[in-house]
Amino acid sequence: MSALGLVAGAACLGLLGLGVLAQSQSPLADSSNRSILHGAAVEYLFPEQVTVPAGKPSPVAFHFRIAEGFHINSHKPKEDYLIPTSFSIPETPGVALKDATYPDGTDFTLPLDPSTRLSVYTGEFTVQTLLVAQRGNHLVQASLHYQACDKNACMPPKTIPVPIDVIGN
Amino acid sequence: MKRNSIVLSIVLLLLAAFAWAGWANWEYRKQAAEKRLASAAKAELVADGAGTGDLPHFVSPLMSHPAPGFTLEDLSGKKVSLASYRGKAVLINFWATWCGPCKIETPWLVELRNQYASKGFEVLGVSLDDLDTDDKKMLANEKRDIAKFAAQEHMQYPVLIDGASIDKPYGGLDALPTSYFVDRSGKVVATQLGLTSKDDIEGNIHKALGE
Repeated sequence: MSALGLVAGAACLGLLGLGVLAQSQSPLADSSNRSILHGAAVEYLFPEQVTVPAGKPSPVAFHFRIAEGFHINSHKPKEDYLIPTSFSIPETPGVALKDATYPDGTDFTLPLDPSTRLSVYTGEFTVQTLLVAQRGNHLVQASLHYQACDKNACMPPKTIPVPIDVIGN
Repeated sequence: MKRNSIVLSIVLLLLAAFAWAGWANWEYRKQAAEKRLASAAKAELVADGAGTGDLPHFVSPLMSHPAPGFTLEDLSGKKVSLASYRGKAVLINFWATWCGPCKIETPWLVELRNQYASKGFEVLGVSLDDLDTDDKKMLANEKRDIAKFAAQEHMQYPVLIDGASIDKPYGGLDALPTSYFVDRSGKVVATQLGLTSKDDIEGNIHKALGE
């Protein structure tokens, strides 16, 4: 009974502690400095890992999400002064990017300049690629380069990492 | 013994329920706080539906403080210092060639500069375009692009380059256009983040001129 009591007492204290801790802690204690202005307007969604036949060009789709209220230029913006969205994989012996196909942009106009039509991505978008992987497991740090704006301001161009584990078999 | 075990089980069950309630409450508060944070962060950049102003007020820590000094090159390579404009009202406008809203705002700045120059007002257009200082050919191309933009937009005021070198004292410059209005004594009297309206800019020029 004493051993059972000890275990029960410890369990009680543990559960009580969990409850009190959860009630008292600030929900955003670990993210107090988050702001979209200081973070990325684009988030890489998936895949984290793909398996492809070794040595053969294989289709792999990369999915991204743009924060609400923002847009980024498409891969083919209509004005030459705008920065296109582009996906790249560094040259490594294990994995090569053979081709990348981007979605068409949608037309967008700024409220104060309705005569200028921009070609942009909003929401979620996908870059279709052809990858060639050698046999083995390759940790690849691909990247997406983009420049984001909302209807009144623009953030500087940014490159976000796109980490993916490519298995060639 | 059996009765004790039953009581103990009930107590454990109640405590487990308490812990679960605490966790669920924390999750709920976390989601609510994240929603609040998201809308607050968005409000820093999003204006009203018509896009004609009324951006949430951009409060810079530089307000009412001396504008941080700087010396930057203009497109001809001449060094231009903010200190040399002491006694004038100055609009420091951070912009970039890739910034669509900056392209809309620039003609307003050109007009307002011409309108108020005789009162002692000047605009300094500071480009935040990247410069590859290690690659002469790239650097020449980048300067050419900035000069092309400035010519197209008839920017007759000083256009300075390498604005990224002074972004820290000016708050990081996370979004463009960003403008600082400096009075004749060198103090920041107004700031603007994002595209607002020509009227808003003109109002802030009056503040800088002390009118």
